[in-house]
Amino acid sequence: MKKILVIMLLFFLTGNIIAQDEETEKVIDSLAKEAVAKYGYKPSGTQFMIRGYGHTGFSYTDTNGETESSFDGGTFAPIFLFKHNDRFMFESELEFTLSGGELEIGFEYADVMYVINDYMTVRAGKFLLPFGTFMERLHPSWINRFTSKPLGFGHDGIAPSSDVGVELRGAFYLGNTKWNYSGYVTNGPTLKDGSEEPEEAGMLAFENLIDNNTSKAFGGRIGFLPLSDSSVEIGVSAYGTGGTGDKGSEYEDVGAFLYAFDLSYVKQISAISGLIDLKAQYNNSKVDDAVYFDEHEDEFYTFDNQSDSFYLQLSYRPTMAGNDFLKNLEFVGRYSELNTPEESEWESEASQYSFGINYWLSWRSVLKLSYETSDIEGGHDGPGLTNIDSFSIHWAIGF
Amino acid sequence: MKTLKIFTITGLILGLVVFISSCSSAENSTYSKVDNNNIAYTKSGAQLWGENCVRCHSIPSPSAYNDTDWDTIGLHMKIRANLTSIESDKIFDFLKSAN
Repeated sequence: MKKILVIMLLFFLTGNIIAQDEETEKVIDSLAKEAVAKYGYKPSGTQFMIRGYGHTGFSYTDTNGETESSFDGGTFAPIFLFKHNDRFMFESELEFTLSGGELEIGFEYADVMYVINDYMTVRAGKFLLPFGTFMERLHPSWINRFTSKPLGFGHDGIAPSSDVGVELRGAFYLGNTKWNYSGYVTNGPTLKDGSEEPEEAGMLAFENLIDNNTSKAFGGRIGFLPLSDSSVEIGVSAYGTGGTGDKGSEYEDVGAFLYAFDLSYVKQISAISGLIDLKAQYNNSKVDDAVYFDEHEDEFYTFDNQSDSFYLQLSYRPTMAGNDFLKNLEFVGRYSELNTPEESEWESEASQYSFGINYWLSWRSVLKLSYETSDIEGGHDGPGLTNIDSFSIHWAIGF
Repeated sequence: MKTLKIFTITGLILGLVVFISSCSSAENSTYSKVDNNNIAYTKSGAQLWGENCVRCHSIPSPSAYNDTDWDTIGLHMKIRANLTSIESDKIFDFLKSAN
């Protein structure tokens, strides 16, 4: 009888413990579900994120009557962000492009950023230069309204895109006007002296991971937003160095000074039921006079090494239209020009008109249909006029 | 090179002025600690979101990212887009509340 009683007691106690465990588990589950519903998963102290953009498309080009067409293999540009804490971050962007049947890999930027206080952040590494606004803010394919860059930017352009060094930047209000600023010290540009590519003697090459001399470049930009709704921004940028040539060469002390003005106006206007977006930038580059060797003529020559470029872009999107299809349409036009030094081997005068209709599939994905016509006098193709007409359709997405 | 020196000196002076003026508020930013005389203080996060993001790209959907992602993007865009602390705090608080 005692045995039976002991067994029954054990069953009772065990059942009670199991019941308590189940009850406890139910309470824990319930609390966990509430916590997840309210806060999601518990975030880590540091955060790593991959963002970026990509695009692909088709283009048809007519160059002085010679036509070609091709599907573009696409571009994939991942951006790596590592947030160490609320002040400290690392950013980097690579760009993978299929060009001429080969994979090209671009190292766009990689820098560390530290927020010193409300008004000042320091960046160090390879960063996009705030020389104007196009290369720093507007060049990604899901932001750029066209499939191409304006003349003066990119390959053989006169505006620098990135450099290696240290930068201080920030923004602040003075009354109801807003200002932003940037000042930096970098490796600076390298002068092409013509020893490797005679036809490019006197050009500046940017993005020098290792400095070719001891002269550093100093630069900066000041942006002014005079209106309280931040719809207008006017900027002035400068970038210069006392030496661009290789150390020990006769070009070591050939200096360069570049400046730019930029303008932005973005405003939704009820009277036209849509959003107006105006962007413009003027770039000017002056390199000190130097003597170069002309292999074709077997003689030395010099020239006034001054270039400039300009673009103006206007887009309109009927964001307030009643029809969803119309709301997602965007009409855009752009004019750009590039003038390189007279009497240089790369002397040219180029102008370009671009027209486009874009359809926004979402806030970060766009189909771009564009037509572009360019007239180039001189340049790499030698003297004479080159006319290039191109039609393209691209799909760009940011992620 | 004279022009370059003038630009450099002007930039250094401007940087010094900003640095000195910012020393008084070198702590973490919260709404109460920043200058509350500017227009951004009177605006909502939604309004600042509409005014600032569109200056470069289309306005992002709050639901595109979770709170943790918005924290990372917030710091990145604060620096890239030259947002003031109050602007970025308000914009990304709004995005996290609306996602």
